[in-house]
Amino acid sequence: MPKPTLTILSRSEASEIHDKAVKLLSGVGVRFEDPEVARILLEAGSIEKGGRVLIPEELISEALKNVPKRLDLYDRDGRKVATLGEGALLFNPGSAAIKILDYGSKEPRNPTMEDLKNLVLLVENLDHIDAQSTALVPSDVPIEVKDAVRLYPILKYSRKPIVTGAFTVENLHIMLEMLKAVREDAWKRPFAIFDACPSPPLSWSRVTSRNVVDLAKAGVPSEIVSMPGLGGTAPATVAGAVVQHHAEVLSGVVLAQLVSKGAPVIYGGSPTLMHPRYGTVAIVAPESMLISIAYRDLAKYLDLPTHTYMGLSDAKLVDYQAGAEGAYSSLTAALSGFDVISGPGMLEFESVQSFEKLVLDNEVCGLVKRFARGFNLSVEELAIDVIEDVVLRKGGNFLLHPHTRRYVRKEVHIPNVWDATPRSRWGGRNAYEEAHEAVLKILKEGRRSELSDDVLKELNAVYERLWRKAGSTPIYV
Amino acid sequence: MGGITALEDVKVKLHKAIVEGDIEGAVESAKALVDADVDVLQIVSEVLAPAMKVVGEMYERGEYFIADLIASAEAFRQAFEDVLKPKLTSSRSGKGVVAVFGTVRGDIHELGKNIAKALFKAEGFEVIDLGVDVPPEKFAEAVEAYGAKVVGASALMTTTMVEQKKVVEELRRRGLRDKVVVVVGGAPVTEEWVKEVGADVCGDDAFKALKKVKELLGVV
Repeated sequence: MPKPTLTILSRSEASEIHDKAVKLLSGVGVRFEDPEVARILLEAGSIEKGGRVLIPEELISEALKNVPKRLDLYDRDGRKVATLGEGALLFNPGSAAIKILDYGSKEPRNPTMEDLKNLVLLVENLDHIDAQSTALVPSDVPIEVKDAVRLYPILKYSRKPIVTGAFTVENLHIMLEMLKAVREDAWKRPFAIFDACPSPPLSWSRVTSRNVVDLAKAGVPSEIVSMPGLGGTAPATVAGAVVQHHAEVLSGVVLAQLVSKGAPVIYGGSPTLMHPRYGTVAIVAPESMLISIAYRDLAKYLDLPTHTYMGLSDAKLVDYQAGAEGAYSSLTAALSGFDVISGPGMLEFESVQSFEKLVLDNEVCGLVKRFARGFNLSVEELAIDVIEDVVLRKGGNFLLHPHTRRYVRKEVHIPNVWDATPRSRWGGRNAYEEAHEAVLKILKEGRRSELSDDVLKELNAVYERLWRKAGSTPIYV
Repeated sequence: MGGITALEDVKVKLHKAIVEGDIEGAVESAKALVDADVDVLQIVSEVLAPAMKVVGEMYERGEYFIADLIASAEAFRQAFEDVLKPKLTSSRSGKGVVAVFGTVRGDIHELGKNIAKALFKAEGFEVIDLGVDVPPEKFAEAVEAYGAKVVGASALMTTTMVEQKKVVEELRRRGLRDKVVVVVGGAPVTEEWVKEVGADVCGDDAFKALKKVKELLGVV
């Protein structure tokens, strides 16, 4: 089956980079801010040197034997959505934006819980955005609950799987409780993935390393999202940043496997280019994307499920740059066969979400998924008999042949907001305006996959506890 | 004759080393000049400061990246802090006088401010560095809090120069204007601008500015 694919490293190049990363871990090692986490690695045979943990090769190869190679992901209601590890292409909104850009505005504002709920409803109704993510950080809630409250509207209104993460050690547990309140076997048939980011170069903060430990203990999938900043927190060369990235992810894999053999882990990343002139973190710079494709091949070499940050833009508005960056990075992600792709809706260096952009990105995701699917070479699809029939007997008109009707729906992707109308049927609106109409329509009459009253009661009880612990009254949306 | 030519060559080399971010070269040339008893203030005003100005211009033109800026700043810092500063035999006439320095709101260029800071400190001033992107109120608050006699507001960009005027206005609003000497610094600053914003001293050149400030304070 012809299928366009994008790879960048040969097997021997991948093997060489992997060996270099392993040497880096055993020679330079990793710094763990939390001594208790460091102790887990030290007790397993790592060596402490100058405050760093040198991880021996044997620990790494042992961990790679134990880490699951495939991971089934379900939706909230227990239906299987995809098997991660086989290029699932699950697009989800880039998270966690601290601002939202309203339609027509040039100045992003602080998002609220209500915005978050609307975003959830939007994602629930966009066919090519396959998973929810805790994509907005609401400004109208106390700091102690900012991470966990984001799960609430998702669980309440959407059945799509969730990409999320905790900002503190403590709140991870309450987030896990929220998931469990919704479905008792939330771990056996997981529907949420938690991001945990190392701090480049080669170190782990207390919160994120503890998250990896606690997730492994609970058996919940963790997504190790290394984020080398080319030329700032990583070498200015793509190759150097790739080695560092790989070493950081491996250190997370080792930690998770030491805590619990077989703990589910996704090989993720959010590589950036520290802009040489402005110091901004350019995430869809070609150099950043080369790092992603390269580590995708390293993960393939190790046969691990993968994640990346693509399908987003560093532009400030929903403009030409936003469209171009979103499209070319989405296509790259699709052709590279990532399992989880975070990014749609996102602007300005992973800091601003736009509903209109999310709708437009949904179109792009549909297009690139179709493109990446390729085509079949079956006898039916080669259609030699059909061509003969039409040319010799149907006057050259394929529209009349039943084969056309049979395949036009299967083979052809029909965009929704994208304009393909003749001018006579065109409504005179540009794509941005169309997207805004779509946003309004979805928010007004879109699907809401609400929970049953019993389950909602359970969820509300945990949610209430979260707020009370912070000494506040819950905001229900 | 030969000696002077040789010294001029070393100055050119130091200038080049700073611009190119060659730390070892900068330190070596600075040492050579100090060993030849060239006046430290002269080295800074004739070589280091102009070199950093060139670096800033190259960044603005897009020829230099952040990594280049940092290399030049480090070459400057090591040449100045490690080699020149220990030899600085100043009158320390600024002893005990507090000066508040900062780069104005909207601007994050601090090379010029840092040069001035180093010079004023070397002269014995107690310099309170407010950093970059400093709003007018912060300047005024610091004057009140530290009893400062000098305010240095730096701006590299023509677009942020207007903030220098706001600093002066804020000082006036709080009745502090006449208690301090105000220096407006930065490459685009002119004597006309100083008059227009109601400041005292033009800080396009840190040495001239230092001299003028000392005169106004009567501490020469």
